[in-house]
Amino acid sequence: MNDLKQKIEMAFDSIDINIPEDNRMIINISKDGVISILSYLKNAGYEHLALISCVDLINENEFELVYIVSAYMKRDDEFHDREKQNIIIKTRISRKKTRFMTVINIFENAEPYEREIYELFGINFQGHPRLKPLFLEIEYEMPPFRKNFDTRKFVDDMFGNIPEIEGH
Amino acid sequence: MDRNKLIKWIKTPAKMGNKYSLHAVYFCTGCGIIEIPPTITTRWDAERFGVTPAATPRQANLFLITGYVSLKTLKSIIRTYEQMPEPKYTVGFGSCPINGGMYWDSYNTIKHLDKYIPVDGWIAGCMPRPEAIFIAVTHLWKMIDNDMADGYKKYRNNYDQYRANQEKVLGSLDWPPLFK
Amino acid sequence: MRELELYYGPQHLGMVGNFSITLNVEGDRIKKATANPGYLHRGFEKLMECRTWMQNFPLVCRINVVEPDHIELIYSMGVEKLAGIEVPEKGKYIRSIYLELARVASHLFGLWAYSNMLGFDTVANWAMYHRDLILDLFEELTGARVYHIYIRPGGVRRDFPDGFEDKIIETLHTIGGKIPDYNSTFFDNRLFKKRTKGIGKLDRENAKKMGAVGHAIRATGMKYDIRKIEPYAAYDQVEWDVPTRKGGDAYSRLLTIRDEMIESVHMIFKLINKMPKKGTVYTKTPNPFKWKIPEGDAYVRCESSRGELGLYIVSDGGKKPYRAHFRTPSYSHGLTILENILAGEDIADVGNIMMSLYVVAPEIDR
Repeated sequence: MNDLKQKIEMAFDSIDINIPEDNRMIINISKDGVISILSYLKNAGYEHLALISCVDLINENEFELVYIVSAYMKRDDEFHDREKQNIIIKTRISRKKTRFMTVINIFENAEPYEREIYELFGINFQGHPRLKPLFLEIEYEMPPFRKNFDTRKFVDDMFGNIPEIEGH
Repeated sequence: MDRNKLIKWIKTPAKMGNKYSLHAVYFCTGCGIIEIPPTITTRWDAERFGVTPAATPRQANLFLITGYVSLKTLKSIIRTYEQMPEPKYTVGFGSCPINGGMYWDSYNTIKHLDKYIPVDGWIAGCMPRPEAIFIAVTHLWKMIDNDMADGYKKYRNNYDQYRANQEKVLGSLDWPPLFK
Repeated sequence: MRELELYYGPQHLGMVGNFSITLNVEGDRIKKATANPGYLHRGFEKLMECRTWMQNFPLVCRINVVEPDHIELIYSMGVEKLAGIEVPEKGKYIRSIYLELARVASHLFGLWAYSNMLGFDTVANWAMYHRDLILDLFEELTGARVYHIYIRPGGVRRDFPDGFEDKIIETLHTIGGKIPDYNSTFFDNRLFKKRTKGIGKLDRENAKKMGAVGHAIRATGMKYDIRKIEPYAAYDQVEWDVPTRKGGDAYSRLLTIRDEMIESVHMIFKLINKMPKKGTVYTKTPNPFKWKIPEGDAYVRCESSRGELGLYIVSDGGKKPYRAHFRTPSYSHGLTILENILAGEDIADVGNIMMSLYVVAPEIDR
């Protein structure tokens, strides 16, 4: 893990890497560097994109996008340390300008993840071929996974005043 | 079998047909569907009670709403329900269709299913056991005997109210009203 | 020939679960497939933010109805990692035994769905009956057939009752004794081979590119299994092997599932033999109403019966999770891989391919 850390630090300047525990590495990077670090890691053998997640940091008025990559095995039946490692790449974008680049060109299975984040957080991934709703049937006043969307208030307003059926 | 009601059967043979051949529409609406396979296979064998899955809604007369109903599913449920021929019976399976259950504060599931389509009976619990389905079926028999399973008539009589409620949560529906 | 748009699901006999695929077909051939999920979306991760750490247990297990146990485990692992809780030795063994039982039950459910889809009703009835035997064990252990809520942070809820190990062994012997019958009626059957060989082919390169995990990648020959790679519970305490196949088609995937089931049964026997007889099964945790977990984030993963299951969890130091995101194996399988490998196949094979990938819809929608 430390070798990789050194290599990344050589290749990229102004990058913040820490290793909180064995086999986990957290890379904080500015939003322009995400594409290049993901393709760097993919070339270094970390070709499995496990997850793209998004955290709504409402107090700091930012969204944090989280990419988690890991590696497949090099040989079919030999276990190495590399597969154990999960690399967590974090980047922040403003809550007002919700735009970001798509990473489908690097990882093909990023497509549904980005669609989900577009729908549930309202982040626009530019270059995504079909950015349309994935899960939801109706339109909400704001993307429902944002922290300022109050699901209990919404339920009261929406389902609370639907009348019972009278008559038989 | 109730021998005392033999005369009644002879008078209304259709009722007997409805009772003992409940064809449940094959629609996995929610997680309650996990208890349907054990029910229809060897261990519990729902066919003893005349319950058997039917491939299309047009051949079915029993609609088991198995579990929570999200808004997207509600649309399919309404379409499926309206395609079924009358008489048709609906049974809500599990806590979630009754009042939202565990998802009482979820933005994407409806809370009271009987406000959107008529429901003849409920099976409480999460998960209800397969035996509970049989109890529900035997209750449904009694209700059919006594003309109490009349949800489809209720739907016909109060269609305006049902349609209004459906449109309230789903927006305008893209098919014409079933009854004018 | 004219191209038609065909809706496959959600109300369809060949569809297991509430999921829909839109197929563009020309004659019998599929030109393009578009997955259409969302029929089971409940917004779990949002609901979790409104509930305390312990209140979330009844909620999270409902993410996957076929196999709720691994979801309980992954959430427990996340909480344990954030709060720094250790699991006692016996708790680890019980977890492993319980999870392997859940894996066998889940694979039997998959076998039911698959054989039902191909028209092997005899095998479907057997598989469902054998799954029920395992559910009876769960019922004795936890009180519930489907949603057990047995794993908790720091271990498991209670110890095995007296004589429970013997019951497990007896049940597994019953199931294991039926494997030759399964082979002769199903896995060695000519019809089964004709319906599955060469169908839904996923080669190594494409599998890697589209994020295949679990038996989908193991059917291409790679021993990719989180239980070996990053052992949790007591998987590093006993000897076992990762079954693989070479073909990468539906046939290889199904046989991988069968071999995995047999391997799990053997593993349970070994675990029961090695399990410590005495000791506590859980570490005490604070009062759930006042329990605050230190600030931080963690990514944990385990191997569910469909593949790599992960959880990215963030705490802001409060009583509730700030954000949780489940990485479920069916997500890539059902949305990316299914869309890609369906093109060029027959309509009759849609359910076949979907079940060979073992796509479970509630896991996708969450």
